[in-house]
Amino acid sequence: MIIAGIDMGVQNTRAVIIKDNVVIGRGAAPTGGIDRPEMAMKAYEDALSAAGIAAGDVSKVYATGKGKFDVAFADAVLTETVAAARAARFYFPEATAVFSVGADETLAAALGRERLISEFVLNQKCSAGLGIFITYLARRLGMTMAQAAAVDVADACAVNDGCVVFAELDALSMMNSGEDADAIMAAAIKAVAVRAATVLCDLTAPVGDKVVLVGGFTQSPAFLKALSSCMGREFLVPDDAEFCGAVGAALAGAEAE
Amino acid sequence: MKGQIWETRPLECWNLAKEIRRSYDGAIAGKDKVLGQGMSSFTLDWASAFPAIRVVEDNPVGAMMAAQDEPFARKARLASEVRGWGREICGYHNNCWGAQFLGHTSDGNPFPEREFTVPFPCVCDSHIKRGQQCRDYKPIARWTNDFTMYIGERDEKREEAMLDHRNYNTLKMLNEMEIVFGQKLDDEMIYDMAKSYTNIGDIRSEIAYYMTFKPTPLTVKDMYSFFQLRPSPKMGPDVLAKFWESLRDEVKWRVENKIAAVGTERFRWLEAHPPPWHYLKYYRYMEQYGAVCLGSQYANLRELLIEPDGSYEVRSYTEPAFSADMELTTREDAVRFMTTPDARSPRHWKIEEYIEPYKLNDMMKIYNCDGALLGLWRAGVGCTLTRKEQAIRLREEGYSVMVYEGSQPGDRVDLDEKRLLEQLDTWMESLGFRKFED
Repeated sequence: MIIAGIDMGVQNTRAVIIKDNVVIGRGAAPTGGIDRPEMAMKAYEDALSAAGIAAGDVSKVYATGKGKFDVAFADAVLTETVAAARAARFYFPEATAVFSVGADETLAAALGRERLISEFVLNQKCSAGLGIFITYLARRLGMTMAQAAAVDVADACAVNDGCVVFAELDALSMMNSGEDADAIMAAAIKAVAVRAATVLCDLTAPVGDKVVLVGGFTQSPAFLKALSSCMGREFLVPDDAEFCGAVGAALAGAEAE
Repeated sequence: MKGQIWETRPLECWNLAKEIRRSYDGAIAGKDKVLGQGMSSFTLDWASAFPAIRVVEDNPVGAMMAAQDEPFARKARLASEVRGWGREICGYHNNCWGAQFLGHTSDGNPFPEREFTVPFPCVCDSHIKRGQQCRDYKPIARWTNDFTMYIGERDEKREEAMLDHRNYNTLKMLNEMEIVFGQKLDDEMIYDMAKSYTNIGDIRSEIAYYMTFKPTPLTVKDMYSFFQLRPSPKMGPDVLAKFWESLRDEVKWRVENKIAAVGTERFRWLEAHPPPWHYLKYYRYMEQYGAVCLGSQYANLRELLIEPDGSYEVRSYTEPAFSADMELTTREDAVRFMTTPDARSPRHWKIEEYIEPYKLNDMMKIYNCDGALLGLWRAGVGCTLTRKEQAIRLREEGYSVMVYEGSQPGDRVDLDEKRLLEQLDTWMESLGFRKFED
């Protein structure tokens, strides 16, 4: 059976085609604004093209992500937590927890044996928009996202890690006092890592030693280093980390049928 | 209905409930009344026994404001905040106080001026401040209605002294009100109320017992509507008692015939505390998943006597303090008759967190529940004490628990409604449930 998953995030949309539990095609598009339904279709068509099949060959399409209700052609929608958890188990069958840090949402789930998810935590207002903040700050600092992802966080100074609004004010103060862009970005990434970590720490169930990290921030070595440093643990990052939402939606959706 | 498992039908006594409510609303309307701010509790609705003294509580006023007119509620909160009342104050207080500062309600009518206040202390943080705000606003009479709270070992002598204090306060207040406002308290009505309310207390306990059955004949959202019913001159305590008797009979019949409150019931849950009062619609949202809320420590704890080994019995409101048919011949008799069992009951559910931390676990078993929903409040924060620990205790026993953030009663500022619904979706989906409409 061939199934498809679409993960429409706040900034990026990913699509995958899965045949017999193997990902055979991937597609991506910026989520866009008012044209989100078209962007979902574009990512899907890219994935179909990469898989070398037509839409008619796909049995079911499952959507997840903040924009999941804009994927008009989806047969069903799934919550981001369920999709992330299912993907974590797909890539790492021994996974004990999943941790997703994206443009808007941060979520953590402890994975169980009898039930896939034994406990979950979604960020509340104060941890929303971490990825969007870094994107915005990079633009302001004249950096590309690749440059932002490569800064050295080892000796970064601290900015406010309670709220990105305050973090931004601290970053502006650093700009005004002549700090260089790399140092400002490093401080911001460190703050974002601390803020994201609070969500994982909010789980009361033991997270175990195999925590799978997914979401857009997996593409930032600087963030990975800052997160590992502040939490004192390493994370398992799938090769396909950016596509995990889509993979998980497809698998969990099909299993729920 | 899609996903229907059980036979269901509307409650027949809803019509009488609505009639009682309308009658009460009519009784507090009008310009000839002396209005006061404070607590006119279910167990001691003393104000109704005066010809023209009525209590306007902050709770329903503030909560209704948030539910019906959010722009006005925001304006009111701002008016309160700029005068120094912080966001940690219960949302419904801030709404209500702000309207008082603005001088009008959301429909443009003048805010009902209060001539007295009767605050009572409560660990949630701000009940006692209700009186302070009123007095700051305008010099008015103030009486205090104490609780008999003590979290140490049961000590009968201490309890007796605390009850004497409370009863003295209440009697003093009633006597002084007669002098200050020149109105005579109808003692016969107080006797009737004492009897009918204690009778209602026993009936509520029976109903709580019937709600342990599967499918439940009643949900907590129904109960919240009924809790708020108050007598009026036209529909007095006897009518209220009759209503509860008919509700009990109907609920019993529904249990015997497996008539469900929600035809799709397949997941039963409890909460530690109700949601923000303006947001009761989330019960209906959960019902789309077949998830039915049976109540909370807040709503149900007093109804059943739960022993340390988890066994329980339906609680009698009067026994063993008094005989239910005891003759009441003085005002003091009536006050003691009502306050004594109330003080000895486990109704001060917040204390449970300190002395019986596994009580919610016990309730989960008794009510045959599958999961629990616990709120963490940014306002009314005393209600949030030990919630996370409670979640751990529930998970230890294998229950699924969801924790969410918001602000307790009547305030939308810190409740992200969309976020909460996403969390509810995630909770249900993680347990393998889909909405029946999907």
